[in-house]
Amino acid sequence: MSTTSNATIHQGMLFQWLRWRMLRNATRVVMNQSRLRVFTIFLCSAFIWGSLFAISLFGFRELRIRWDFPLDGSLMGLVFDVLFVSLSALLIFSTGIILYSSLFSSAETSFLLSLPVSPDQIFAYKFQGAIAFSSWAFVLLASPVLIAYGIRVNDGAPWYFYAVLPLFFFGFVLLPGSLGALICLLLVRFVPRNRKQILLLTVAVVAVLLGLWLARRLPSMRDLFASRDWVDQLLDEISLVRSPFVPAHWIADGLQAAAKREPSHMLFRLALIWANGLFLYVVTAWTASKLYRPAYNRIASGSSLAREFSDSWLSKWLGLFTYALSGVWVVHFPSGARVQYHPGTGEGRLDRAVNRLLFFLDAPTRLMIVKDFRTFRRDPAQWAQVVIFICLIVLYFSNVKWFYEQEIGKPFQNGISLLNLVATCFLMCAYTGRFVFPMLSLEGRKFWILGLLPLPRQTLLWGKFAFSAVGCLLVGEFLVLFSNLMLQTPMHIIAVQMATMVVVAVGLSGLSVGLGACIPNFRESDPSKIAVGFGGTLNLVAGLLMVILVVGLMAGPWHYFLMARAAAAIDPDYRALIEAGGFIAGMIVGLLATIVPLRAGARALVRMEF
Amino acid sequence: MRVRKSSCSARNYPRANSENASAMIELAHVTKKFGAKMAVDDLSLHIEAGEVFAFLGPNGAGKTTTIKMMCGLLFPSAGTVRMAGFDMKSDSEKARRLISYVPDQPFLYEKLTGREVMQFIADMYGMEPAHGRQRIEDMIDTFGLREFVDDLTERYSHGMRQRTVFACALLHEPSVLIVDEPTVGLDPRSVRLLKDLLRLEAQRGATVFLSTHSLDIAQELADRIGVVASGRLISCGTLNTLRQQAAMDGSLEEVFLKLTEESRSESPTEPVTGPPLSAPETAL
Repeated sequence: MSTTSNATIHQGMLFQWLRWRMLRNATRVVMNQSRLRVFTIFLCSAFIWGSLFAISLFGFRELRIRWDFPLDGSLMGLVFDVLFVSLSALLIFSTGIILYSSLFSSAETSFLLSLPVSPDQIFAYKFQGAIAFSSWAFVLLASPVLIAYGIRVNDGAPWYFYAVLPLFFFGFVLLPGSLGALICLLLVRFVPRNRKQILLLTVAVVAVLLGLWLARRLPSMRDLFASRDWVDQLLDEISLVRSPFVPAHWIADGLQAAAKREPSHMLFRLALIWANGLFLYVVTAWTASKLYRPAYNRIASGSSLAREFSDSWLSKWLGLFTYALSGVWVVHFPSGARVQYHPGTGEGRLDRAVNRLLFFLDAPTRLMIVKDFRTFRRDPAQWAQVVIFICLIVLYFSNVKWFYEQEIGKPFQNGISLLNLVATCFLMCAYTGRFVFPMLSLEGRKFWILGLLPLPRQTLLWGKFAFSAVGCLLVGEFLVLFSNLMLQTPMHIIAVQMATMVVVAVGLSGLSVGLGACIPNFRESDPSKIAVGFGGTLNLVAGLLMVILVVGLMAGPWHYFLMARAAAAIDPDYRALIEAGGFIAGMIVGLLATIVPLRAGARALVRMEF
Repeated sequence: MRVRKSSCSARNYPRANSENASAMIELAHVTKKFGAKMAVDDLSLHIEAGEVFAFLGPNGAGKTTTIKMMCGLLFPSAGTVRMAGFDMKSDSEKARRLISYVPDQPFLYEKLTGREVMQFIADMYGMEPAHGRQRIEDMIDTFGLREFVDDLTERYSHGMRQRTVFACALLHEPSVLIVDEPTVGLDPRSVRLLKDLLRLEAQRGATVFLSTHSLDIAQELADRIGVVASGRLISCGTLNTLRQQAAMDGSLEEVFLKLTEESRSESPTEPVTGPPLSAPETAL
């Protein structure tokens, strides 16, 4: 073996030593300082896992016994295909975004690049971390569902179904993970100058293409459910997902083969996943060995606030878009046209709009909100995820509308409306957990700047709370109104749902900002890692519980009594009492979820040393 | 704390590329642009083995950018950077084996102890295990790390971190030591120790490239001084050379202020190239 190969293997082992040593030391520190924290993490994870397992077990039993649904049939295979395609898309995005932060903007990367380490080794080390961060939720969420499926399918799946589950998981995450990493490297290397715009353009193009595909497909699907062989038509319509070239189909088919006791077919699919996953990883690592250093150089060399665009129409469009988005950048065109906007103060049109919108707040709080807003919109890794979230939920609502128009959904109007409210609230919960909870931690070691400002420290908290509550209210109320108007829900139900959304948006904001101040993580600079840490997980579980309670109490009775049978079975006076009582109880829960964490957070902030 | 001269071992001294090793640091017409902004403008330097070179300049003059190009973190927009005879664009991994870089904001793994960080560095540079262990002990003694070297670095004060970072940098006996703002956060005793160490490193044959705002350190240690302003090298040589160029006979601080003031009022038409060190110029 050559010296270079020896050195490469040596470096790879050294990085493994580094990772395990840091994990060991961190575990020791946590176990010595706070066993309660470790216990709570395990409890939260076990609670989420157990709840999902119980729901899945119940759901699969209902499907098989009550609905006579064949769990080993092709329709179940289709469900798995769609599930794994969705997970693939999420893994591609999340791995790419995490890897972008860890490869190009972390202090550790600069340190490693100054050592005699080959770039593909740094990439491999960072890739493993990104894959672990982006796929742990996948394992946590998918494993209880699939184990429940194994228990309920036929007379129970054979033992090797459970044995190969982790092998399928780990092989599968290599494919979307490597693809996300490859896209990240190519984007940064070849389109670094206008990368924010390119990223947005990519998201917009994907959304438009998806919309066009749906628009073209919908007419041909009009008679889908009217026909007797609708299952076959449905399979035809989404044949792309079931294509033998789609890796998501390999894992779906392989797991079904295991459940149906077809070990040879299962092993073929498993080998296919691992062979392709490892091949794609090797291709990505080889690409990293060629592109990583030049890509890092381009990122590090292009951090000027003033951007130049060529005279082409695309560049002009991008330039004007940049101007509209940030306001601060100076846009030059070679033809002489020049757009300049407050380069001295950094204040943009959007900032001034937000400032005006918050006229009722005092000046320091407004200042804090505008600062947070500016930081947020200048980070594409942050707002691109919000755009993806909203695109997905709007697409979901559009599909619901179509089902409703086909007379398929009308009997379920009431239920679908409530389901939409729950989906929107869960979206808000994910948003506040991912973006609002880490806000205070992200002040990091610069916290002393804010801490020394001549204003009460609580103002920092109120500013972040107001920023989050206003953002959640705007997006949440729009989504609730949009979905209900499409479903032609009665006006009083729309009013109840909008009031519920106010309580949920304010409650989630209070919870995330308050807990973010109580359990800050000033050592971590990557918000996605803060969100999946102990505090982030606790915040997510608390948020989900609050959403279930508030929606159940405030909107639940109204939707329940909208059903004719339920309404007929109860005295109108009692019905009004239950509706009003639930509404008030929900508001109290929301109020508590807002005030208690915020007060605790304010106290923690006042006591905080820095 | 005491300086252990025995820690410098010729047996393990890394080898420069002998074919092109006339200079340990060689920058030829290097330019670096950040978008439209010119950070480094046609900079040429030639620094020999065993020389201590101080790189001075106002904030934003291009010092850190130059250093990052010398470490291979950034590539020049034009020109070439050669370290120990190796081109930093095509052969940077070989060059980085011979270099140590101490940045102005050094990085330490917070969940490792100081000893573990040093072990990681020793292994990364491929040091023999026994020699690596011996060097770690030497560095612990030299920098007075014994009391806290087995604690996690997240508990270190700024000065403790800085001393640990220097221990890591000198562990593998680099041919070129590049230091950006070395004395920030160090107490007077540690500053004295650091000065002695840098001088010793130069005596054993290493090239020390020092970017600093501490003019007294530059005056005390440097064989030659380069002054950079707005990305251009406006003066380079011994203190006497700089005095001649500034047409004054004051301290380095006065000379520096005059040179940078002049460069602000008049942009030089021809870039200054740092000449190789010649014997009569070595005395400041």
